[in-house]
Parts: sequence; C-alpha cells; structure tokens
Amino acid sequence: MKLNIYSILLTVSTLLIFGGCATHTRYVETTGPRTIVTTDINIQDFSYAAEDMIKSLLASGSLDKTQRQPAMLAISRIINNTTQQIDTDLLIKKIRVALNQSGKALTTTTMGIGGIAEDPLAQGIQQEKEFYTDKKEPQRLPDFTLSGKIIEKRDRQNEVRQVSYAFQLSLTNNDGLAVWEDEKEISKQSKRGVIGW
Amino acid sequence: MKMTTRVIVPACLLASTLFVFTSCTTVNTVERATPIGTKQVIADKRVITDSTLNKKVSIVGMNEGMTPGGFLQVQIEVLNRKNSMQTFSYRFEWFDMNGMLVDTPTSVWIPRQIEGQETLTITAVAPTTTAKDFRVKFMENVRND
Repeated sequence: MKLNIYSILLTVSTLLIFGGCATHTRYVETTGPRTIVTTDINIQDFSYAAEDMIKSLLASGSLDKTQRQPAMLAISRIINNTTQQIDTDLLIKKIRVALNQSGKALTTTTMGIGGIAEDPLAQGIQQEKEFYTDKKEPQRLPDFTLSGKIIEKRDRQNEVRQVSYAFQLSLTNNDGLAVWEDEKEISKQSKRGVIGW
Repeated sequence: MKMTTRVIVPACLLASTLFVFTSCTTVNTVERATPIGTKQVIADKRVITDSTLNKKVSIVGMNEGMTPGGFLQVQIEVLNRKNSMQTFSYRFEWFDMNGMLVDTPTSVWIPRQIEGQETLTITAVAPTTTAKDFRVKFMENVRND
C-alpha cells in the first residue's frame, strides 16, 4: 500500500516538474490580434504601415496619371534610420503585392540603384531578348519610383518609455516630381518593470 | 480605533473619487450645424456577439464612395459610449461580384483607441476594382499589454 502511494506521488511530481518546464509554443496569425507587442518594430507594424500606405496611394489616383496602364514602378532607396536591423522588404513587398493585385502598377525587377537588378537572371534575359530582336525602340522606363525612410524616436518620462516609428514613402514620377507622399506613425509606450525593463 | 476609522474612511473616499474622475476623460466636439457635404449612407446588417464591445465601440453609420481610380471607399463612424478610453481592433474583408473573398496582404487586424464619448471614422479602400462588397469585424483587444 505504501509503495503504491509513493509511486503515485513520484509520478505526479515528475509530471509537475517536466510539465512545468515545458515550453508552450503555438501558431498565431501574423495579421491577427494575438501577436506579441514589444517596443521594437514588430511584424504587425509593417502590416499596419503598408495597409495605410496602400489605402492612401490607391485613393490618391496618382497611379492612373500615366499614358500606359498599368504603370511601371521601380523601387528606389528605402532608408532604415532606426536602431534596429530590419529588412525594409517587410514593408515594401506588401505594398508591391497590393499594387500588383490592384492592377494599377507593376514593379520592375530588372532595374535597381547602381544598376543592380533585384533579379539578375531576368535582367540578362531581357538584355538578350533585346539584342536578338534587334529592338529599335528604347527600353520602357519606369513611370514612377518608390522611395522612403523609416525613422525611430525614443522618449522617456519617469517610468514610461515611448518609442515612435515614422514610415515615410514618396512616389516620384519620371519628371522628378513627388506625386504622392505619405507618412504613417506608430507609437508604443511601455512601463519599466520592477526588475530591469 | 475610532480615530483610525475617522482618518481611513475619508481617505478612501477621496482616493476613490480621484480615481473615478481621473479615469474618465471625455471628448467635446464642435462642427458645422448644417454640413455642406452629403454622406452616401448605406444600410447595414449587424451581427452583435459581444454586447460589451458594442457599448464601447458603437457603430453610428457607414457611407461609401469611389476613388478616382474606381476603388470602393468605405467610411465607418464609431462612437465610444463609455466615459473612459477604450481599445479595440478591426479588420476589413473584401468580396468580389461572386461573393468570393479577395485575399490581400493589407487585410489585417488593426488596433485603435478611442477616448470617452469620442466619435472615430475608420476608412478603408478596396484592394481591387473588382471588390464590390465588404465586411468589417470588430473585436476587443486580446493582448494582455
């Protein structure tokens, strides 16, 4: 009888110890409301910024003012002026996908800053195609370029810390005029905990 | 003992009064008595499963229009009937002529905050010109932050 009680206690305590140590990992929807919020730029912040930018860009009608539709877009420099190492494609790709789906603009992958193409293979094929077809017309130039900046600003008052991120984008036409510009700001506050922060 | 009660009771009363008055911050507004712009108000169908949220974020009305590029644009006016700041999230879903969901990277749950008795306008633009219908979901913030 005694042995039985001891074995039950041992099993329960073992389960408690190992069960307590287990990490609970689960999937969450990236675009859902249950993602983690920290003072860094989180994945959902890029989604919020992209959503706002696309809404503003489509509502402006700027992409409709070209002779050829859909408009041709090239991606210019997106400056990361934050203290974090981030891939700006987390923002730009969402915008590109949404523009592509909208039917208003297509992005070139064979042009880039300093002549560096996003897709070098596509650039090679394009050049070869032009060579063999003895093309008389000049290559189509982008109607617009998209440039931008992500800025970080940190403030502190007593135990409250605030971090703000400004997502700025400009759409420039091939006359060098910024035909659409917008800015989306995201601010987060956090209180310093008892131990560390 | 009596002395302690005399001190503690008024102190508690003062603290609770201060708490009530400081946590309630409402918004005063002013606007043109006869607006020049006319809203293209649309009839809506509501499914309320969270009545608490409905009090915090009450839908006043919806109006729609078209952008220069032919995209459907929707505005929803919501009102916080409470006297304190509330947080909520919303998400737009778009549907084409056949009632099929238009999948877009910009369909995300967006958190917002609304002050006491404040009206807030939520704007959305359809991701494609083929998107003809929409549905908006509202939810209380589920994060413990």
